[in-house]
Amino acid sequence: MGEVMITVDGLEVTFRRGGDTVRAVRGVSFEVMRGESFGIVGESGSGKSTVLRAFCGLAPTSAGSVAMGGQGLQTPRSAAFFRQVQMVFQDPYASLHPRHTVDKVLSEPLAIHGFDRREERIEQALAEVGLGAGFRFRYPHQLSGGQRQRVAIARALILEPQVLLLDEPTSALDASIQAEVLNLLDRLRAERGLTYLMVSHDLAVVSHMCERLIVMQHGRAVEELSRAALAAHRAETDYTRKLLAASEGYSPAPG
Amino acid sequence: MSPLLTVEDLRVTFPTRQGPSEVVRGVSFTLGRERLGIVGESGSGKSQTGRAILGLTPPPGRATAKILDFDGIDLRAARPATWRSLRGARMSMVMQDPKFSLNPVMTVGRQIVEAVKFGATGTRAEARDRALAMLEAVQIRDPERVFRAYPHELSGGMGQRAMIAMMLVTEPDLLIADEPTSALDVTVQVEVLRILDRLVAERGMGLIFISHDLRLVSSFCDRVLVMYAGRVVEELKASELKQAQHSYTRGLMNCLPQIEGGQRPLPTLERDAAWAK
Repeated sequence: MGEVMITVDGLEVTFRRGGDTVRAVRGVSFEVMRGESFGIVGESGSGKSTVLRAFCGLAPTSAGSVAMGGQGLQTPRSAAFFRQVQMVFQDPYASLHPRHTVDKVLSEPLAIHGFDRREERIEQALAEVGLGAGFRFRYPHQLSGGQRQRVAIARALILEPQVLLLDEPTSALDASIQAEVLNLLDRLRAERGLTYLMVSHDLAVVSHMCERLIVMQHGRAVEELSRAALAAHRAETDYTRKLLAASEGYSPAPG
Repeated sequence: MSPLLTVEDLRVTFPTRQGPSEVVRGVSFTLGRERLGIVGESGSGKSQTGRAILGLTPPPGRATAKILDFDGIDLRAARPATWRSLRGARMSMVMQDPKFSLNPVMTVGRQIVEAVKFGATGTRAEARDRALAMLEAVQIRDPERVFRAYPHELSGGMGQRAMIAMMLVTEPDLLIADEPTSALDVTVQVEVLRILDRLVAERGMGLIFISHDLRLVSSFCDRVLVMYAGRVVEELKASELKQAQHSYTRGLMNCLPQIEGGQRPLPTLERDAAWAK
């Protein structure tokens, strides 16, 4: 601990198309320590996913900088970067190739990065996410949503990365399956000392998974909180308080 | 007062290669002018229950029931003409995603006016006025603009409100809302629910609220049916959800992460084969 893993400093992302300019991220800064789990919470269009995408070079950075382990990152990102940083996406129905077996999904990153002992690694990766060897030659349509997300996590972990970027990893899953996947992510982080950067609209999920978090609205980070502050409902801004109230469930109109 | 809707032993069956598969297996309940929640995970049969009530079971599926009675009308024997006079006018349904349930090549206003004309007589100007009034009732700030807009020009929250406006403009007695707010942001979700809440209170509408979100349903509805594998495993008052008896309901409650911090690892649901019996 104590070592800074991810630095995002004054990040701005602007998309231009024709005469339209969309300032998706407007000056966001934070640091994530090695082994820490950091959350970004916001509603749709707040720019939370864009921050993740900008970090791994999938969105253009128009101002500010991102760095990993103190090193600035070049664009396009190097292969070494992707060996250290992997991403798990929201929708396990869309993020797995429908005509690739689990075996193919897992062996492709190994081949790209020139790993040895591929057989062994695939079996180990499946075992780690709680899928037996029996799942190895199945297609995505033969798996449930939770099983698919486990495959997506196995695919990310098979390169032995240090950082996992999680973009709403459980929001497409049922509550009971969500609990299983969150537990799996928690356990893997403890075992491997991974660093997580997690994006979600669900305050409860983020507060369960992350030690610190920022709340984003309209491309800006409106507030940074610790898990303890969130748990005690010590929010500084109105917007965070509104989110907190909404996540408690329905309440009749005030007044 | 007799109930608005009585359902007894509702079954929905789909033929598969392995023989008929029953996805709703003997659901019974009554609905008054209240908010009834149906909660369950994917595949529990909650949406098929809602569709079967409106006679919208997609073929080749078949819905059967011992009693399916809406305000004295036996829906089992309803002919197409009867259905046409009921759907939209007296009972309607709000689906999950406005992107798929609004007509993309018709302005929102024309779609709502179409619904108004369907239910009532009157001039075109009157229909237009009612449509605009309804858009205002669902808290749309600039109803004139939304009236002229095509669905793709609206945000998710706006689209869903327009959808609700369309379903409610005929003042139905029964509204079935199938995950009406799942595609919306939490802050918008609260606003949409307040609209539904007010309509139940002011117009005495019966509402069936179908959702996977136990926390939301328990805070919004009066009564909750918990479904598992096509059956209602538990029926309880929303306020008494914390005292749920069935281990499935309790498991579902416990596996939700808490902002206030809870158990780690999260308790997972141990499925019991006896629940599905």
